Amino acid sequence: MRQNALEVSELWVSFEKGSKAFHALRGISFSLEKGQTLSLVGESGSGKTTATRASLGLIAPTKGKVTLLGVDINNCSKDKLIETRRRCGYISQNPYDSIPPTLTTLDAVAEPLVICKGLNKKTARERAKEMLSVCGIVDEVVLNGRVKFSLSGGQKQRVALARALVTDPEIIFADEPTSMQDASNRGDILDILQEYVKKGSSLVLTTHDLYLAAAATEHSIILFHGKIMEAGPSKEILKKPLHFYTKALLDALPGLGKKIKKPSLKQGEPEYRLSGCPFLTRCPRGIDKCSKTCPPIKEVSPGHFVACWLL
Amino acid sequence: MIHIQRLSVSYKTERGQVPALKNINLSIPKGTATAIVGESGSGKSTLLHSIMRLLPPEAELSGKIMFEGMDITSMDDAALRSFRWRKCSLVLQGAMSSFNPVLSIGKQIAETVAYHLHLSSKGSYKRAEELLEMVGLPTFFSKRFPHELSGGQKQRAAIAMALACSPPCILADEPTTALDVITQAEIVWLLKEITRKNNMTLCMVTHDLPLALSVCDRVAVMHRGEIVEIQTPSGILNNPTHPHTKKLVESIRSIEERGNPK
Repeated sequence: MRQNALEVSELWVSFEKGSKAFHALRGISFSLEKGQTLSLVGESGSGKTTATRASLGLIAPTKGKVTLLGVDINNCSKDKLIETRRRCGYISQNPYDSIPPTLTTLDAVAEPLVICKGLNKKTARERAKEMLSVCGIVDEVVLNGRVKFSLSGGQKQRVALARALVTDPEIIFADEPTSMQDASNRGDILDILQEYVKKGSSLVLTTHDLYLAAAATEHSIILFHGKIMEAGPSKEILKKPLHFYTKALLDALPGLGKKIKKPSLKQGEPEYRLSGCPFLTRCPRGIDKCSKTCPPIKEVSPGHFVACWLL
Repeated sequence: MIHIQRLSVSYKTERGQVPALKNINLSIPKGTATAIVGESGSGKSTLLHSIMRLLPPEAELSGKIMFEGMDITSMDDAALRSFRWRKCSLVLQGAMSSFNPVLSIGKQIAETVAYHLHLSSKGSYKRAEELLEMVGLPTFFSKRFPHELSGGQKQRAAIAMALACSPPCILADEPTTALDVITQAEIVWLLKEITRKNNMTLCMVTHDLPLALSVCDRVAVMHRGEIVEIQTPSGILNNPTHPHTKKLVESIRSIEERGNPK
């Protein structure tokens, strides 16, 4: 059996929100074999970023277990955790916060090589320069300028990409890595990630774009309010979405040659209570049963799962 | 409706004059929906702000912008006051910052209504509630403050405000940035439906070409301060003429086809 790069089981993450608890993740489970690719898809507040951060041990789970590269990261020594994280690459959603602002661009990318791989500064800088040129940053002024002052949003995101990939990570977590790119650059970012997947890295991509998920990863998980609504092969989901939420997500996504459709979802806040389906308040079809018990996730065709009483 | 002739705008900066718009000619017929598409820095927002006469003082403008036969560039203050809101209104990018944080939504909309339509305070408040209903918000939202609304709800309220004086023309500057895809679809659907039903003219600025193609009747593509192409959506899709448009369509198509091969 191939070893799993990431295994998440029954993961709960709850935050205090006033006197009430807010459950960002409500018992999600998934696993990713070495070299496989996976997208976490959903709107803001669906829990995709929380799932990514919890997978890296940046957020402690309320319940559940995360095994990252064979290590139970919530029950191991701090040294072990650090060692494990150094084998990962993480492109945060917000590149403004993830790159040390006072370093030069070149040093920001050389830094992980010095820390994680123990290279000397000179070799690290040479390697960093190559990596940055792969990511489309070659201008000397930008390379030697401070991150804070010399880079646009899109450039910062590409520096964050270079910083995450320069150590040849075994698993890459990319949280909306194309969000700040102009349309004409988005494909390049996917190509770079694909290159690393070919070399054997696993990839966890976070996005709200089902087209992007299908272009970049084999599998997709559709999250809504901390629950998995649908999971399966990305291309199959794009061609034949089953869950009402996935369908609405796809209808809402502008695509070439698509005309705008009347929105199918009901207006409403997602349901905060724990029993019942979280999607019920927005679902166009909900029945009585949906408010009482949460639908379990079931396999409808090989490898394609959906959580809905009506399907 | 709007007729722009040889419009050029440049900004005075420390590095000298920086051109933002170069010799723009654009006609927006009455009752149509036009999209202006371009990447960051292409001049699309400057164009929209020129129409509303909202350019900062360091901007220099030449050319003509005719709105129903009146030249906006030479209007005096009184004419401008009756032009804005009553003839043409603007929905801003990220309505987050376009509301006064210490006034309830209802009061802010009522204020605009009272000033321009000379209604009593009670009458204008009632009109504000009607407007909120039109954009799909419950009337009790009139008592809420801007921070109590989600991004999508705020954008709806901004549209309600733009509709306050039933202007024949609505301009929208990136009305859906920072919104979720599903909320985005709801907002553009709302804008499209309201303008279509009331036979209003809509002009929308966006960086999202697929969105522009799915909503508008005509799409103007901007690149480095110039309009490089104006066509119907199917024209842009099937026969793009300018290299920049071709590249833009190709890059989007390549991602779609990678995920969904033919």
